[in-house]
Amino acid sequence: MSEDAPFDLDALAARLAAEDGPRLWRSLEELADRPELRRLMEAEFPDVFEASSVDRRTLLRLMSASLALGGLAACNGGDAGSHAPLLSQSRNMPGYTPGVPVTIATSLPLNGFGRGVLVKSQEGRPIKIEGNPLHPASLGATDVFAQAEILSLYDPDRSDTPLQDGSPRRWEELTRFIRPVRNELVVGEGRGLHILMAPTSSPTLHRLISYTRELFPHAQWHVFTPIDDDARRAAVLDGFGRDLDFVYDLTQADTIVTLGGDLFAEEPGHLRYAADYQKRRRMRDRELPRLFAIETRPSLVGARADERIVLRPRDVDAFVRGLAASLEAGVAPAPDVHPSVPRLAELLRRAGPRCLVVAGREMPSEVHALALAINTRLGAFGTTIRAIEPVRPIIDGAQTLHDLAKAIEADQVSHLLVLGGNPAYTAPADLDLPSLIRRVPHSLHLGQHRDETASVCRWHVPETHPLESWGDLRAFDGTVGLRQPATMPLKPALSAEEFLGLMAGQTVDGQGLVQATWREVWGEGFEARWARSLEDGVVDGSALPSIDIAWRSDWRPEPAAPVSSGGIDVVFAPDPSVWDGSYANNGWLQELPKPLTKQVWGNAALIAPETADIFGISSGDAIDLTVEGRVIRAPVWVMPGHAPAAVTLTLGYGRQQAGRIGNQIGFDAYAVRPSRRPWIATGEIKVAGQRIPLISTQHHHALQGRDIIRVVAPGQDTPQDSDDRPSLYPEWPYEEHAWGMAIDLDACIGCNACVIACQAENNIAVVGPEEVAKGREMHWLRVDRYHSGEPADPSTYFQPVPCMHCEKAPCEVVCPVNATVHSSEGLNDMVYNRCIGTRTCSNNCPYKVRRFNFLDYQGTDYTPSADAMNPQVTVRDRGVMEKCTYCVQRIGAARAGARVEDRRLRDGEVMTACQQACPTQAIVFGDVNDPDSAVSRLKKDRRSYALLGDLNTQPRTTYLARIEIPAEEG
Amino acid sequence: MSSVAQSSTSPVADVALSRRFGSMWWIALLASGALVLLLGYTLISVALLGVGVWGVNIPFVWGFDLINYAWWIGIANGASLFAAILVLRRHDLRTSVNRFAEGVAFFAVICAGIFPIVHLGRPWLFYWTFPYPATFQVWPQFRSTLTWDFWAISTHVVVTSLLWYVGLIPDLATLRDRARRRTVKRIYGILALGWRGSVIHWAYHQRAYRLVAILVLPLILVMQSTVAFEFAVTLVPDWHETRQPLHFVATGLAQGLSIVLLVAMLLRWGLRLGRYIDEEDIDLLGRLVLASALVSGYLYLDEFISALLADGLTREATISRMTGSEAGLYWTAIVYSVVIPQLFWMKAARQSTVAGVFVGFSIGVGIWFDRFSIIVGGLQTDYLPSIERTYSPTLVETGLFLGTIGLFTALLLLFVRFLPVVSMFETRHDEHQEKSS
Repeated sequence: MSEDAPFDLDALAARLAAEDGPRLWRSLEELADRPELRRLMEAEFPDVFEASSVDRRTLLRLMSASLALGGLAACNGGDAGSHAPLLSQSRNMPGYTPGVPVTIATSLPLNGFGRGVLVKSQEGRPIKIEGNPLHPASLGATDVFAQAEILSLYDPDRSDTPLQDGSPRRWEELTRFIRPVRNELVVGEGRGLHILMAPTSSPTLHRLISYTRELFPHAQWHVFTPIDDDARRAAVLDGFGRDLDFVYDLTQADTIVTLGGDLFAEEPGHLRYAADYQKRRRMRDRELPRLFAIETRPSLVGARADERIVLRPRDVDAFVRGLAASLEAGVAPAPDVHPSVPRLAELLRRAGPRCLVVAGREMPSEVHALALAINTRLGAFGTTIRAIEPVRPIIDGAQTLHDLAKAIEADQVSHLLVLGGNPAYTAPADLDLPSLIRRVPHSLHLGQHRDETASVCRWHVPETHPLESWGDLRAFDGTVGLRQPATMPLKPALSAEEFLGLMAGQTVDGQGLVQATWREVWGEGFEARWARSLEDGVVDGSALPSIDIAWRSDWRPEPAAPVSSGGIDVVFAPDPSVWDGSYANNGWLQELPKPLTKQVWGNAALIAPETADIFGISSGDAIDLTVEGRVIRAPVWVMPGHAPAAVTLTLGYGRQQAGRIGNQIGFDAYAVRPSRRPWIATGEIKVAGQRIPLISTQHHHALQGRDIIRVVAPGQDTPQDSDDRPSLYPEWPYEEHAWGMAIDLDACIGCNACVIACQAENNIAVVGPEEVAKGREMHWLRVDRYHSGEPADPSTYFQPVPCMHCEKAPCEVVCPVNATVHSSEGLNDMVYNRCIGTRTCSNNCPYKVRRFNFLDYQGTDYTPSADAMNPQVTVRDRGVMEKCTYCVQRIGAARAGARVEDRRLRDGEVMTACQQACPTQAIVFGDVNDPDSAVSRLKKDRRSYALLGDLNTQPRTTYLARIEIPAEEG
Repeated sequence: MSSVAQSSTSPVADVALSRRFGSMWWIALLASGALVLLLGYTLISVALLGVGVWGVNIPFVWGFDLINYAWWIGIANGASLFAAILVLRRHDLRTSVNRFAEGVAFFAVICAGIFPIVHLGRPWLFYWTFPYPATFQVWPQFRSTLTWDFWAISTHVVVTSLLWYVGLIPDLATLRDRARRRTVKRIYGILALGWRGSVIHWAYHQRAYRLVAILVLPLILVMQSTVAFEFAVTLVPDWHETRQPLHFVATGLAQGLSIVLLVAMLLRWGLRLGRYIDEEDIDLLGRLVLASALVSGYLYLDEFISALLADGLTREATISRMTGSEAGLYWTAIVYSVVIPQLFWMKAARQSTVAGVFVGFSIGVGIWFDRFSIIVGGLQTDYLPSIERTYSPTLVETGLFLGTIGLFTALLLLFVRFLPVVSMFETRHDEHQEKSS
């Protein structure tokens, strides 16, 4: 072969094959040292050819660079954003170090309100959500739903292709369908077009809605959410003559009365309210505030309250009337009032403007009106409560779901657009929405899942997850938080903004749409403000201002309706785990023990012990519940503290098309929800004579007279453990840090945020209902719930129990292979690789905080995508014991950071995942070797005690006793 | 070798050397074999899927695994202690029951030995409990009762098998001498270790046999106590008691004796060895069983009284074990292991095959329930009420237990088929003595 022969690989291969025997080449260089190969190199890889005399260092440098760039290239989905050269991108990314997670501030919606969050993103993959300390609805804390959004983002059941009548279609086919339909509608000015969406606070969505309305002036908008505030709105319209939202300031309140609902779990500002209430309790210079909960179904606020008054829903109206009458709030005195009313009225009067009366969303509008009248009468407006413009503005002329049903029945709907949500499932059953939607000739559903609504609409379009699209949301007080994507879209989908943009004939570019909104508002200086708002996660100074309002002077309450005596009151409530059902396919939330029942993987009809006795049933017995002619079969749960002759049904279960995790779990309470009275209805109970097994993680709730939860009166001490700690083993020496934790039982409201934060941070497996039923759930942190007192109205206590990291850890000495050992900083480390799974450590743990991988829990249908895993935490194998590590990976990361800056770790620099999520700062973690650290100060508090301290395990996790005002002082 | 001796022990040797063995043996072996297959199936499913196929959970991290382990160890211990004492005391009874008592002990220890390994989450790493110079330089935790247990069980296997084997050597030589087929001769020959029956051999043999028997004595106390320590050393209120080792040793002895009695009765009946295991032997064994059952009864009483005297939580835990939802286990244990053996106050019962089998079986059952009651019932009351749960065994667990019983009976059946079940040299020795006196 001559030197000038044209180069060709086939020829080379042929020549190699033709040589005598296998030709061994000792190095690539040797093989490359042939003219034809040189030419190949020059043609194909000019850079390498140039650097032909590569030394080892250069080669390694090139290799590492290409690996790093390869990783970055993988982050770029390619269908959005710029296509700037990769090389310059990596050099121009300030603050980005490969392997170090990036934090992105954004907002997550719940019922249309925003909660500010910080998303920790590892190489472009969101892995953990924390609260945004700058956001008023979060202050750094999160609720369970925000934490669990990570899992929803990676949900494998999320829809990724448009569907037409259930068959997958290409996106081009979708546009081919939409374009003529849209043109047709534009010509007809939107006649026959009905758009159904949930109330939203998003300014961009509202801007796009008004554009769309201009384009389709005859289109009809319908607003529906199953978790509606219609009763409160009606009361506000009646009393103030206009629509308003309220923001409460619990730091100012001395006496708080809640009427149903759950101020600490279900209100838009619940995290903030819980935090503010605790802040108020911690004010040393003021007396403890008084919190009264008047409720049917036990709630978190009721568990925390100084006093609960258990009432059937139908008796609440009379109670508040009595209260309003004794406070002269424009109500005629009632003949017989509840015995607690005079005392409560006296406390409210004493508090004056520092009072607060809040009615929950399930209460009828008369109760809301009476509560507002009391607040007005005592001057609470301006102190503990302020009125603002509605955060979720009403779309002009928007109608209800009811009106939509009527319009479809009257064949007035030719085109139906369902923007998000799942109304076919969440609509009250008497509307029979699924079959109505089927009657609409052209219907399109935009949603994240191929859910119940997707299956009744002609077209289904995948919707983006809030973590992968642009938007904006207002918080409960109106503060705007920009919603920016924390990842490239994982599935091809459109956001509601983009879809409306498409309809309005604007650009289908979420970022552009949101920017346009704010460019309009901010005008000059947009760029700087935009950048700052993205960085902060909140738009500075965007909280809605208080507005002056006046309670109608001639307001008189509706005359009290006669209290009917028959039937059982049926109360509907959002579920603490799956909310309205939209989180049903989220394994973390399904397996999250509900705060008060500790039930997992299902719901139950909550009834009072008294009611259970009357019917002769116990938890797990099925009842047939009839409401307005519709019947469901549900297992009952005997709930201490529930009002008698009433039953609470939580929404969100019994899904048929939630996905592989959420299908067929629990029963569907929507099936008996009446559209006219969606929150409180009347029904009949019949014992079904069947048992439906319920799964719970805690079967015993009595304290059994043991010293587990300590309660002190204000200013009182708890008996201190003696310092005499005899032990055969010497004390451990700690030269630097000694980590410890203090958990304030006075602050804990039992909201579960810590449990799910721990699960997200530490890659804790979801094991599924069968395994939990066997007692094998894996949560490293559990919240024990105890009741004391009469079952009719008990006190409820919560106690988060992580690993105690005992100084004299009983688990350490019994492990035959030294798989659990004491670290130099006092952590009780678990060495997964060393563990052979004898489980004897769990036997010797008096707190039973150890969890065992009885089966391969990380390879099941419940296992999330590997992308959702925290790469800093080992994924545990089967046959291995695991437990709380005090987030040792966070300690390690903080230590590395401090070492780079050549300084000591600062107090508060290491936050455990549970601590960070806690809305009331009940959990404090730090160095107990530093006498000035926050945790050391708490451990010196007179309320501090060790759980099972007399065992001399010397736990590093200690508790602070709950403070209760003794009953006689009340 | 005299012709008298030849004739006196030939039925014993014939059993091992005969070509045919009757259909009952085959049926029994097939049944046991089926159970051994079940054992294989359950072991494989545990190995492939993990211990989650059992009913274990948090806090009941141990279930049938430890119950059966403790139970088999009890049988092994009781039987070998019994055999060792007979050897050391040169008791007449040893002639007739020693060999299979040793066999019972050895097979039971094999069954027991399965559990500590399969019960691990990662059984293939069981050798990490062994102190070997690993490259990662981690040693076992010598303070852990499980490490002690590792030593105890391995010592137990070695000593029990030695006791059995040393006792067998002269008889293996006899079998070698009498075997007709060459291969059989060779196998017995290798096992007989070149035994020629010289006086020096006999002298060494006696010394070795008794030496091993002496080793058994402390081992029994150590082994059962170590099993008991696995419970007593933990903080679990009902387990954390100093009386646990005594309870395990004494009830284990009763259980071992009862199984020896059960097997003796079955052999006597099945192999028609009435001449070798005579009425007097059986009567003596019956008395021993009765005595040990009385000791068990005393320990139950002691448990009750010490529970009443204990402090709050311990008392609550023990009383809830006796009266709570798992109380059935506790009372079953007492009825079967203490009350039923009282039949043996009657001489007729002691000498009846049916009664002997019944009592032997019932003590075995009773002690099994006792272990169940301790391991499961004892965990019912813990420090935090929030973690109280229940435990119920799964089919796989039950299959594993039945499987080990199958393995035990299969080994026993092979033993009676291929090895002399009654010590031939001891029988000859006895008969010589009788003749000379």
